[in-house]
Amino acid sequence: MPDSEQHIIADLRDENKRDLAFHVLVKTYQERLYWHIRKIVMNHDDADDILQNTFMKVWRSIDKFREESSLYTWLYRIATNESITFLNSKKKKSLMALGEENEYLVDNLMSDPYFDGDEIQLKLQEAILKLPEKQRLVFNMKYFDEMKYDDMAQILDTSVGALKASYHHATKKIEEFLKNTD
Amino acid sequence: MNELKNNAPELSKLKKEHPFRTPDNYFDDFSARLQMKLEAEKSAAVPRKIKFIQILKPALGLAASFALIFMLVYVPLKTFIPERVTDLAQNTEETDADWGILNYIESIDESSFVALLNESENNDDFTDDELTLYVSANFSDYELYENLKNNQ
Repeated sequence: MPDSEQHIIADLRDENKRDLAFHVLVKTYQERLYWHIRKIVMNHDDADDILQNTFMKVWRSIDKFREESSLYTWLYRIATNESITFLNSKKKKSLMALGEENEYLVDNLMSDPYFDGDEIQLKLQEAILKLPEKQRLVFNMKYFDEMKYDDMAQILDTSVGALKASYHHATKKIEEFLKNTD
Repeated sequence: MNELKNNAPELSKLKKEHPFRTPDNYFDDFSARLQMKLEAEKSAAVPRKIKFIQILKPALGLAASFALIFMLVYVPLKTFIPERVTDLAQNTEETDADWGILNYIESIDESSFVALLNESENNDDFTDDELTLYVSANFSDYELYENLKNNQ
């Protein structure tokens, strides 16, 4: 674990330094976590809500952090779980059938005023949204964030081998989509 | 990178950037907004000290109101017109008893009611011996004489 992380954790556990340390933690990780969440839920307003919930959860459960993983992977894990929980609750509320989630996310993307990609970028996002949930997560974390497989394994609680296979399948499917929709 | 070129040549040609943006100053303001939310949660989490007397206050108020009404109505009535109150109580009891009999009669069916009447009529038939025994046991000779004289 990097020294900066250890320093933040120590301060978070100190009653007198907790508020300041939490502010530092938010400033350090807010952008990375926001983009991670945004790529899962697509819409800015949803991503904003989830990011707030993620940090609230971190604040409430900082005492439960065991330091078995790095602070960075622990935060990513919470953000990922919050995003998936959000999507599942949306599915339940709007009684979405299997496979309709992708259409919902494409609509979410198209209606978002903070999306300004060109045609090819929209096409790539549509291809990503057609992937199963786990492959989508793995593809985004590897392709855009260039995250190490070891870190991804900690965040998603999966083996490195399984992650490599998921990424391989995901790239193949996206390639097919890009070729066939010209 | 080479792996991506081999597996997905079309994908590898694309620029690796996502097409999303955020509102202006979003990340500058985020921390302050989060801090406000945290402060709200902290203040909501602090339990308010509720005194025992605060819980009892409504019940005590209600009890005091009833006691006051009782004092203002019942005590003057009891003090200044005790006989009237007693009469009222007796009338109420009688009325209750009448209502009880009426309710009982209403609750039995017609055939049972007729049978009950016949039975009571039969029971009223006294023999001459029983009548003589009853009169001699309850009235003196002088009373019988007075009664006969009055009836004539």
